[in-house]
Amino acid sequence: MTMRPDANGPETAAREEDDHALALRASHGDRDAFARLIDRHYATIHRIAWRWCGNAGDADDIAQEVAIKLARAIGSWRGEAGFSTWLYRIVLNTVRDRQRALAAERRRVEAFAVQALVDAQGSDESTDPATRLWAAVGTLPERQRDAVLLVHGEGLGHGAAADVMGVSEGTVSFHIHEAKKKLRAMMQAPEDELS
Amino acid sequence: MTHDFDLDALKSVKPPEPSQAARETAMRAALDAFDDETNKRQTQGSASGVRLMTILQRSWSTTMTALTKTRLMTGTAIATILVVPLAGYLAFSLINEGYSPQFRQDTPLMDLGGANRAKDEADADDSRIAAEPKPADGAIAAAPPAAVAESEVRVQSPGQTGLAKSAPSTQLRRSGESFSAAGAPVAADRIAPMPRVEEQSGDRFEKFDSNGVKSVADAPVSTFSIDVDTASYSVVRRSLMEGRLPDPDSVRVEELINYFPYSYPLPESRQTPFGVNVSVSPTPWNADTKLMHIGIQGYDIVPSERPAANLVFLIDVSGSMNAPDKLPLLKSAFRLLLDKLDDRDTVSIVTYAGNAGTVLEPTKASEREKILRAIDTLQPGGSTAGAAGIEEAYRLAREAKIDGGVNRVLLATDGDFNVGASSDADLKRMIEKRRDDGIFLSVFGFGQGNYNDQLMQVLAQNGNGTAAYIDTLAEAQKTLVEEAGSTLFPIAKDVKIQVEFNPATVAEYRLIGYETRALNREDFNNDRVDAGDIGSGHSVTAIYEITPVGSPAVSVDPLRYGEAEKPAATNAAGTDEYAFLKLRYKLPDGARSTLVTTPVGPAQEKASVAGLGDDTRFSIAVAAFGQKLRHEDAVANYSWNAIRDLAAKARGEDSYGYRGEFLRLVGLAESLDR
Repeated sequence: MTMRPDANGPETAAREEDDHALALRASHGDRDAFARLIDRHYATIHRIAWRWCGNAGDADDIAQEVAIKLARAIGSWRGEAGFSTWLYRIVLNTVRDRQRALAAERRRVEAFAVQALVDAQGSDESTDPATRLWAAVGTLPERQRDAVLLVHGEGLGHGAAADVMGVSEGTVSFHIHEAKKKLRAMMQAPEDELS
Repeated sequence: MTHDFDLDALKSVKPPEPSQAARETAMRAALDAFDDETNKRQTQGSASGVRLMTILQRSWSTTMTALTKTRLMTGTAIATILVVPLAGYLAFSLINEGYSPQFRQDTPLMDLGGANRAKDEADADDSRIAAEPKPADGAIAAAPPAAVAESEVRVQSPGQTGLAKSAPSTQLRRSGESFSAAGAPVAADRIAPMPRVEEQSGDRFEKFDSNGVKSVADAPVSTFSIDVDTASYSVVRRSLMEGRLPDPDSVRVEELINYFPYSYPLPESRQTPFGVNVSVSPTPWNADTKLMHIGIQGYDIVPSERPAANLVFLIDVSGSMNAPDKLPLLKSAFRLLLDKLDDRDTVSIVTYAGNAGTVLEPTKASEREKILRAIDTLQPGGSTAGAAGIEEAYRLAREAKIDGGVNRVLLATDGDFNVGASSDADLKRMIEKRRDDGIFLSVFGFGQGNYNDQLMQVLAQNGNGTAAYIDTLAEAQKTLVEEAGSTLFPIAKDVKIQVEFNPATVAEYRLIGYETRALNREDFNNDRVDAGDIGSGHSVTAIYEITPVGSPAVSVDPLRYGEAEKPAATNAAGTDEYAFLKLRYKLPDGARSTLVTTPVGPAQEKASVAGLGDDTRFSIAVAAFGQKLRHEDAVANYSWNAIRDLAAKARGEDSYGYRGEFLRLVGLAESLDR
């Protein structure tokens, strides 16, 4: 199974192996193994959460939530999916749940509303384009956002992203394609001046 | 600027370091959960089963890996197979978590778990519908409101509650008397934030149905309260700016329309505090109907003549206010407002969170430094305890009360307004009582995520105040500075409108918006029934779409056995008038209402939309926009582009750029509505 992010080398493979073993031990009730697993992945979880929700406070909360979920779910972990794929899925689901809970649909990047307004008012174009782009990605429909962030933010291959999202590679590519169209429109939208 | 962009630039956005404290908390929580889980499994005796499965699954997994490596299967097939067990894990975790009956309210960890519990439950619904007895609506409404509010509120963390189910719009009638008499449980039900899990929503909006087409033969009279709230527009704007169409329930068309300043003509004499302007024109979105447009324009109080103001700020500094678009924005907004006040005015500040406290005793607005220092000391933290705070705020307002002046409590919150021990119904009663004492309440909503639009509306409506939603500093500027007069200084209160249509000329009518402001026909003449206020310089717009008799757009067939010879109600029947407009208002300190009437006939009719003034045409464009966002049938065939054209041509001077912004929003909505 192509669980490993394509971008990563054999070193990660060894570690994935290791994660696998740890997770299995944890699933059998080994507390230390579980603790090591969380300790090792906390930063990753936090990073993913932050990338998706764009707010450090939320990322802390989500990371905690994920840690608890892992504790609850690890007992039935059967190891057929790569650990990192599983982790991604849990983090993404947690992010999604939280965003749904927090906003009518999704809680988007906090800053974006303000940013968009500022842009719309035609001032302060100095913001880092990457940050702007990332903020815009946060406003995409869920699946498109996930696809873009997994592939371009996290550096996963289309296949690995497809595994995380539970869709086919083709669907991932399609989402990314759609996302690009939307992003293009969005990045330009504030500048359309009508009169 | 961006003709193309490199998506890989996303990698260069560097995440912040996770907070060490949060990390430790998470670790502890996870290990607790882990122990919990281990114990549970042992008691359930399922551990060996799990192990057996593990071995089986693992070998299956190895086979799968081999298969994939040799590319024997397509990606889709693999994904499909894989998803099943993964979904199983998730369901497992969700069920366990969502279900956990040992609800440890006191540990900080629960805050977090709680935040997700509601929709975790929703997620795991499939597997659990039968198992989970959902609280029945009736049960909650019937339970003693205090108990419900208390128990529910305590365990909630921001965003946990679902959309509290709304009462039908007719119950939203704001009536001082009948509300508390007939509607006490209903009120509690509406106000209490209840954990309704079927809606995955943190922001709560009252659901309401759009006004339907009414037949003049059946219901010749339409009655409603004016509404000068603007909150809905900011909510809609925020949503569109974030790249998604707003929740149709969050769109209140009249609030969209009334967000914009208009300058309709004023009456000739200042005897009446406002001018009533009516026009009839073709409907841009329907060639077979007409629009009856009512524009009310309030006098602007000259700054030197304005009454002194006693303002008590009740500021939510609970932990949930700790976001850039909440407390920090509020602080900036507050500074803006301070600039509009002078030494006639007093300002006090009360905070509530954990323990409510007075931060600033009534202070002359001219002591800027002292006030600004007090603002700067505001720090978010703790949970919300609204009851003590609001009592304290009203106490200060009474203490500093200015007779003949404006006495107002301004509540700033993100909606996480838990009133603690006393029930929400008590809160509402208190607000009503203070309103009768001359202390009004305005509500400013901040932030997004757990914004409780519904509670804010109810509070402001019962407190003779406005509810505004402040999402940006620009919005704060509009609400608190440019419109400070209308926000703070009312020129008329309890303004109600009643329109009687002439069955000889009008077959059907539909009031656009104001669904949540409908009044009973008899409420119009009942001065005890509360209604909306008009502030200094405010304008209020209401639009009816009317179908003339004989138009092909008439949707209801005439009755075969209908009253062929209906007795004429007044001797005006048989004229070519369309309708008779009646408006009642009270002066801000008055108890008796004054009646203003005007017939609407061909004299006010314009042959084309272009013949209307800019303001009127612009408000019609906004009406179309709002209806389209609510997916209303009437405007289904009217394009976004047409709306934009109509608005663009009616842009007028637009000195603050609000209308320009509206044009952009229409463009955004169009691009999202595909």
